[in-house]
Amino acid sequence: MSLEILLIIAFGGAFLVYFSGKISPKLRDGFAVFISLLLVLIISCLYGKNIEKTFYRGFFGLPLVLRINMLSWLFAMVISSIGSLSVIFSLSYIRDKEKTDFYYLMLLLVNSAMLGIVLTGDLVSFLIFWEIMSWTTFFIICYKRGSALAAGMKYIIMSIIGSMAMFIGVLSIQTNFNTLIISELSAKFTSASSGYILFILITFGIGFGVKSAVMPLHTWLPDAHSQAPTPFSAILSGVLTKMGIYGFILFFYFIIGLNKFLGLGPDVFNLHYILCWIGAITIVIPTFIALLQNDAKRLLAWHSIGQIGYIILGISIGTSMGVASGIFHMLNHATFKALLFLTVGAVEYQTNGVRDLNSLGGLAKRMPVTFIAALIGAFGIIGVPLTNGFVSKWMIYKTLILNTHPFLAFAALLGTWGTILSLYKFVHNIFLGQLPEKLKNIKKAPFDMQFSLIILSIVIIFFGILPGIPLKVINSIIGSAGFSALNISSIWGIASKTGTLNTINILTAILGVGVIVWLIFKVGRKSKQVDQYDNYAAGFPIPKDKYHYTVEYYAPFYRMAAPFLVDIFDIIYERIAKATENICDCIRKIYTGYVGNYVMYIVFFMAFLILIQLKWSVF
Amino acid sequence: MNIIAIFISPLIALITGMFFLGISRKIMARLQWRYGPPVIQPVIDVIRSFSQMSISHGSLFDFGIILSLTGSFVLILFLPIGELCPLTSGGLIAFIYLMLLGPFGLALSGAIAANPNSSIGISRKFLLSLSYEIPMLLVFLSVMTYYGTISLVDIVKIQASSGWAIGSWTLVLPGIAYFLILPAILGVRPFEVVKASQEISSGPIAEFGGKHLAFSTLQHALHMFVGLALFVDIFLGGWTLFGLLDFLSGTAWFVILGIIIFLLKMTVVFVIEIFINAVYPRYRIEQAMNYLLKWPTLISFIGLIIVVLVK
Repeated sequence: MSLEILLIIAFGGAFLVYFSGKISPKLRDGFAVFISLLLVLIISCLYGKNIEKTFYRGFFGLPLVLRINMLSWLFAMVISSIGSLSVIFSLSYIRDKEKTDFYYLMLLLVNSAMLGIVLTGDLVSFLIFWEIMSWTTFFIICYKRGSALAAGMKYIIMSIIGSMAMFIGVLSIQTNFNTLIISELSAKFTSASSGYILFILITFGIGFGVKSAVMPLHTWLPDAHSQAPTPFSAILSGVLTKMGIYGFILFFYFIIGLNKFLGLGPDVFNLHYILCWIGAITIVIPTFIALLQNDAKRLLAWHSIGQIGYIILGISIGTSMGVASGIFHMLNHATFKALLFLTVGAVEYQTNGVRDLNSLGGLAKRMPVTFIAALIGAFGIIGVPLTNGFVSKWMIYKTLILNTHPFLAFAALLGTWGTILSLYKFVHNIFLGQLPEKLKNIKKAPFDMQFSLIILSIVIIFFGILPGIPLKVINSIIGSAGFSALNISSIWGIASKTGTLNTINILTAILGVGVIVWLIFKVGRKSKQVDQYDNYAAGFPIPKDKYHYTVEYYAPFYRMAAPFLVDIFDIIYERIAKATENICDCIRKIYTGYVGNYVMYIVFFMAFLILIQLKWSVF
Repeated sequence: MNIIAIFISPLIALITGMFFLGISRKIMARLQWRYGPPVIQPVIDVIRSFSQMSISHGSLFDFGIILSLTGSFVLILFLPIGELCPLTSGGLIAFIYLMLLGPFGLALSGAIAANPNSSIGISRKFLLSLSYEIPMLLVFLSVMTYYGTISLVDIVKIQASSGWAIGSWTLVLPGIAYFLILPAILGVRPFEVVKASQEISSGPIAEFGGKHLAFSTLQHALHMFVGLALFVDIFLGGWTLFGLLDFLSGTAWFVILGIIIFLLKMTVVFVIEIFINAVYPRYRIEQAMNYLLKWPTLISFIGLIIVVLVK
């Protein structure tokens, strides 16, 4: 199957779904699911292929190239599978809303554009797909109108700034090297000066940084993630932010090359070291800001930024285990963050749009599958052993500690402890505690929603127990970037001289001990099932609806840290935006709209010219 | 050897943990001029409550407490007790993560009970653990960076040849910091904010009775054992005793004496903690956080800087 046909199916399918929606909603739903699953199937068939071919030469004389290798295969797989799960989840979620056809069109177009980004082999089509992705995302963020419009504007303005920076980079590469084909560029860059490489990295870095929400460029993300329709938030957080990561990996290790990249700048001010610190800051601050949030999706959105920090930290440390952990964490973050967003979506759907963490509670008894999925997702993002998040985080810590970067490792670990607190709050406030009277009649989520949740939960556990399977793919990626491969001869862990990880050991220990403890528990006298109001309160009656301890769950921490956890960059950008608006307002006063005024301007200008001519006779 | 260790080390941990619970009550009583209960009173309590009927708030309520005790037992399997260390995987980093299972299970179980006291207790538990984990992580990072390994077994082995970590001037500050946060890890006064029986009816375990209470007591005993054993393993040289036992090496006596020395060291540390427990009143949660994030964090931070400079 050639790559053009893949992209034609992806883009053509999106429009097919749109037009079939005009005929019948059932047909549209069927087509949407069919096309997204077909893409997963085709891409999984392309495993291990290494194709590169020029499909069109006429674009202002520039060849447009499509290619696939292990790196693009992995990303394409993530895009198509998370995309299809999101489409399946959307079936119920979006059914009774308006503009459903438009929603599906945009959702599928975003997916196709992202597939285009990872499958192109030259920077022109890269830029074109990048722009398609940005704009379709903008439309879908604004889907709900109202305050979503403001979030969308923020997103698109930052995106455009990013693309403009990238455009400058592309122009400069074309004028300097006279080629934009990625596979040819790596040879050209070996002779480039470090100053030029730095320039290129900064121009592209702004574009990629905005998309992946690295710390100073992250401000669009919390608004956009919380305002977008929830199934799309899963794509936005799980996949779309990873496009920036793809760009970073492509430029660091496949265009500029390992040795050049690690040699940029003197000792401590080495670029990759600075990037590590940017990653560390991106972990710590957003994770603790997340702790203050009361909107479930906003909390998860801030965590997206934090997790991106781990990925940046992993890929810029520049050791084989570090880069592998960065790529692996990218994959893992796509699974558990998509899962968490989808659980919020399920809760939101069943409660008619309640996302406020202070007005839910006790839903574990009503929505058991969603609760288990949320718990697995939370375990994944925290990195509890036997989930995939554990393996990638373990790899990051290990490479940081053994390369004597304990402060970076501390930032990473601190981020994890912040994650534990806020994810427990997330699970507790929605699913645990007292079930309020108004939520008494909540039903469990429909099957198509649960399907996506179950699949993602299984993937998280599966990759957590057998990390060798994804690591094999990652091994060949880092191998082609010039790193030495990791030792993953057994699929249940990573062997090395300086500390071995063996997940099957942990699994057997937990399962074995768990069964013994459970048997002992069974031996004890059977316990009596009681209602939630039948509990011990030191002699006081427990009023209904009043005793779910959620508001300001970590009150002492809020009092202590809230003054420090302000998003300074957002405030700065808002001020710049405001100032620009004021300047434009002043300029607009000149354009009054009256013809008389314009005639007056012309007369004044003529008079000015005549004056100059009379005085100095320049013309 | 490993197969035997898998069965022996949880047993040792359980017996020692329950013994610690017993002597803590005895010592507290003697310090307050009372006679005190017999040392095996906690064991009697566990057996008795195990045979009593309990209430349950659903299957998650049961699952949480099972997960919690499982997590604590699993930790023991990855912990070097003397020379016994049945399983190794992922070193100290994996160990830190495995330490999450116990509290998380308890938190799930406590929170599904819909008792506000439990929720408050859990919230305090997470805040307290955030505050003591920050210095603790710094301490662990200094040790791992200094010895250049992430394996707990290796850390003990290196100390056998180069002397106790707390005796070397580079690691003395992390050692002090760990000792300062040890009461918070063990949950004794002045950091008894989580259970705080007079305020929030023993917090997370407010709803537990019968076998649930028995399990949570066992979990608490194991948790104390792990906190103390980590201190002994990392800073007090594990089973080593200034090389006095070297003439026995290779024999079974060496292993047995190693375990006894290890447990004796733990007992000494624990008794000191009980003395601290006896003379201090309870902090409020804010005060506890303030203290933990101030002195131990500062000391361990300076310790980590020294380690990095030396390396």
